[in-house]
Amino acid sequence: MNKIIALFTLLIICTACDDRPIATVTAIGQDGLRETVSPNDKIKVINFWATWCAPCVEELPHFESVGSSYLEEVDMILISLDEKKNIQSTVEPFLKEHSIKSSVLLLDDPYAAEWIPIVDQHWDGAIPVTLIVSKNKKQFYNKALSKVELENAIKEFL
Amino acid sequence: MKTLKILTVAVVGAIAIAVVSGMLDTHERPNLFAERPTPNKEQKDTSIKEETAFLKGYKIGDAATDFNLKNIDGRKVSLKSFDEAKGYVVIFTCNHCPYSVAYENRIIAIDKKYKNLGYPVIAINPNNPEKNPIDSFENMQVRAKEKGFTFPYLIDSEQKIYPQYGATKTPHVFLLKKEGDQNIVKYMGAIDDNYQDVKAVKNKYLENALQSLIRGEKIAVTSSIAIGCRIE
Repeated sequence: MNKIIALFTLLIICTACDDRPIATVTAIGQDGLRETVSPNDKIKVINFWATWCAPCVEELPHFESVGSSYLEEVDMILISLDEKKNIQSTVEPFLKEHSIKSSVLLLDDPYAAEWIPIVDQHWDGAIPVTLIVSKNKKQFYNKALSKVELENAIKEFL
Repeated sequence: MKTLKILTVAVVGAIAIAVVSGMLDTHERPNLFAERPTPNKEQKDTSIKEETAFLKGYKIGDAATDFNLKNIDGRKVSLKSFDEAKGYVVIFTCNHCPYSVAYENRIIAIDKKYKNLGYPVIAINPNNPEKNPIDSFENMQVRAKEKGFTFPYLIDSEQKIYPQYGATKTPHVFLLKKEGDQNIVKYMGAIDDNYQDVKAVKNKYLENALQSLIRGEKIAVTSSIAIGCRIE
């Protein structure tokens, strides 16, 4: 009987857990960025962050948890502005430590003035920022988002 | 009989899992039917306006406010403290931001070169040190000493100056020129366009603007988008 209870508990725990693997980093350039921010059938939530950016790190758990509850409706994409040389030493260990399972890209291009307008004309260049795009709608948030703000922002697109 | 027992447990287990996972799924589905999928354009526009209103600051040609802020040596510094200056390179910067750190050597070089030509650098840390202790006054003193800053490094301790300038991130540059008793904004934005690699810089925005001012020419590029860490 004890075995059955143990097995049962285990099964319950596993239905609640997110079985996606920890994310790995894919480096992209300006072309990759243009493709990432362009609309798709599925809603895209694109967050720009960096491991050294305290307000970004603070809001990342919201993107993780909200992302995992809207897996079917939303592509959660986290674009890191860390330097490419730090992927193995800093970014990937960070993803592991914080159990980040959303898609993680790293924008490897220092010419920010060239690519910032690709993302949104209202972006002043500070991070964190979040862009939400769907086929017929686009919204840009030039600030950090709370969990409630993020959920409400996504609901506007559903 | 044993197989039946296992099977029963499995079935009961599966049902229980389905029930529990259903309970765990807090995901709201407010509309199970499709609404008219027309985007509400007006609504979208107002929210964008709100965002940009928040970022309002100086425009090129505006007169910038003077300030009286504490320098790392304990003395208060204002624009008017510099009698000889023809203008100022006001740079909002800080200790913690990697973009700021990447530009430290370039800021020192610009101060050394243009101070003698009438345009000294004045660095201001706009961040609240409670958000990031690396940006505390004491740590500003430490960093300035380590790097050998040749310019004043002030703290905007009440956070009243940076919003007036419209600085939103570090580093964020405002190039001012003295005209009568006013200090007119001539250039705003980035120092140059490549924080990572000085040798790969394509546009030296700030230096080009300084050169134009000194030669009495029109500044070709009066503003640029700067990447940075949001001021907190």
